[in-house]
Amino acid sequence: MKKIIHIDMDCFYAQVEMRDNPEYREIPLAVGGEGKRSVLSTCNYLARKFGVRSAMPAIKAKQLCPHLKIVHGRMQVYHEVSMHIREIFSRYTQLVEPLSLDEAFLDVTDCCLFNGSATLIAQDIRNAIWHELQLTASAGIAPNKFLAKIASDENKPNGQCVVSPDKVNEFIEVLPLRKIPGIGPKTSEKLASFGATTCADIRALSIKELTPLVGSFAERLFNYSFGVDNREVKVNRVRKSVGVEHTFADDLVTVEECIAQIPKLIDKMKQRLQKHQDRVIAKQGVKIKFADFTLTTMEQQSLALDEDGMKNLMESAFQRGNGKTVRLLGVFVAFAELPNDQEGDERHQQLGFVF
Amino acid sequence: MKFSLSRESLLKPLLLVSGAVERKSTLPILSNILFDVVDQTLTLTATDLELEMVASTPVNNQGENGKVTIPAKKLLDICKSLPEDSLLSFESNAEAITISTGRSKYSLSTLAATDFPNIEEWKGDVEFKIQKSDLLRLIESTHFSMANQDVRYYLNGMSIETEGNEIRSVATDGHRLAICKISNPELALPARQVIVPRKGILEIIRLLDPVEEEVQLFMGSNHIRIIDSEYSFTSKLVDGRFPDYRRVLPRNGDKVLETDKDQLRQVLSRASILSNEKFKGVRLNFASSELKITANNPEQEQAEEVLEISYPYEDLEIGFNVSYVLDVLNAIKESAVKFTLADANSSVVIEGSETSEAIYVVMPMRL
Repeated sequence: MKKIIHIDMDCFYAQVEMRDNPEYREIPLAVGGEGKRSVLSTCNYLARKFGVRSAMPAIKAKQLCPHLKIVHGRMQVYHEVSMHIREIFSRYTQLVEPLSLDEAFLDVTDCCLFNGSATLIAQDIRNAIWHELQLTASAGIAPNKFLAKIASDENKPNGQCVVSPDKVNEFIEVLPLRKIPGIGPKTSEKLASFGATTCADIRALSIKELTPLVGSFAERLFNYSFGVDNREVKVNRVRKSVGVEHTFADDLVTVEECIAQIPKLIDKMKQRLQKHQDRVIAKQGVKIKFADFTLTTMEQQSLALDEDGMKNLMESAFQRGNGKTVRLLGVFVAFAELPNDQEGDERHQQLGFVF
Repeated sequence: MKFSLSRESLLKPLLLVSGAVERKSTLPILSNILFDVVDQTLTLTATDLELEMVASTPVNNQGENGKVTIPAKKLLDICKSLPEDSLLSFESNAEAITISTGRSKYSLSTLAATDFPNIEEWKGDVEFKIQKSDLLRLIESTHFSMANQDVRYYLNGMSIETEGNEIRSVATDGHRLAICKISNPELALPARQVIVPRKGILEIIRLLDPVEEEVQLFMGSNHIRIIDSEYSFTSKLVDGRFPDYRRVLPRNGDKVLETDKDQLRQVLSRASILSNEKFKGVRLNFASSELKITANNPEQEQAEEVLEISYPYEDLEIGFNVSYVLDVLNAIKESAVKFTLADANSSVVIEGSETSEAIYVVMPMRL
């Protein structure tokens, strides 16, 4: 049985801003742009009381909460804080899988601190983050990644939740499906129309019955409904793709306008690709979000970044809009899989010192 | 400013200080070298805000005393490619400096010396003299075990420790650890420990020659400085707590193997050809009269080597990253090496058979 901790910083960017600017502490605050099409990165808990959420358009947030203070993010600072947090994690285990700047899985199965109590380890990590950075984090402690991730959300902010192996069933049976990562509003609606709202309901179905509803996610969802998740904490996440996208202040109307944006997007993507020169490109593609927020992507196999190919893809993808104007354009490349990588990670485990 | 000097008397200090010049800086002035002319002496300073290098050379000063900063790389490239023994004349005006010799004339744009960053004033509280060859040996024996860009930022450097008549260097990346101790009965040093950043250590190696000449070493709470007759080198320290190496030294080793270093090194480097390129794992099978070394790669190709040894213990199979072991064998100067082993999950201690000036600890790999 593994011991997995999921650590999640509480409204990370907003919390850093509140720490560094006392005048923001008692007001609804969001980090993001204020342009007419900007989207919020995150917001504090005061703002959430008004219904403001992460990834919400700034305009909508302002409607919900007219006195919402929106500040620009300071990525450099967030990055430094994130590195410090990762250093704290490294004191407990080398098996750390960062999911983003503010979130990570830790496998503490082999950690001997606190007599191996993952609950106390999580508490100590959160204490260290508070003492060294004056920031709060929440934690979920469970026998696998799936349960740990859901648990970290249970007692947010500044809390933790343990799902011990003997409590897994209790926890999972009543779990609303909407809380499962991968199930958004639409899927949960679909499942509800089938009478499935909790994991217990999913168990009553079969993978065969689930597949038409959730596609390839069916098998994993079925396992989740029993609290089963065998994914390892992966120290080196392998990046699968790199992309760049841009939301325009005013919609683009013609296909020529869209195609004219391609060189700029590709230039930006080339910069990002410099960090991944060791990877082989397998596919390239474009993404369009139309004025009505419908999304289309089109991709082709390609061993290199090919500007003309991208332009052709853009032209075809644009046709799918049937004359709709365009609010967002993106380009991306997907990398070829690394050979034998996962297998190797498990078979060549370099042991480390415990300092 | 107006002064002249020979190409050679400029090139030497220029090469010395240019190691500290930041190549990819967002602050343009860090790509420049500060030229400070006072009477008949030119002092050159370069810094990347973490390291600072200062060197001086005599000049024939034909104008006022003054300071200016000059693009380092271009100046160095020009100096290098001018003919030997050229006499270089420098003359500065508002925003440029002209270097002329014979029929050659180069004008480089300058930035104001007032904007050049100074490392803040500090006082060393530990100060001692050490032979260049000793300092170099101390650092070269362990530097390869330093971490590189680890989140445990305090491992991205070398711990230098003083105590009584002993100076220690310790480096570890979390998988392997190296310690070197040198002592000098003339020293009486306070117990101090500092972490010198990786870039500083690599720069010190570049600066030192293995000769019997002394340099002066200063350690403060945030800086370390080395002063030589030709230059002064300063590095900021890493602010952090270095792990205690004593906690990592294994105590359970009860199987000792002594063997010829070069032979073992040859065998390991041959076998490594067919190890997994990324993980570099090799398997060592110790038996009473032979050591079998095997490696294989994802293409299922296999290497096998056998060495005759004397190993009067229970058989042991243990895996290692072969690069870690080869780094150690390359660093040990003696011709025979000693391995002290416990079991497949415990670290091995490797050291020279004769002295134990340097000790290496390597954690195994599960294969």
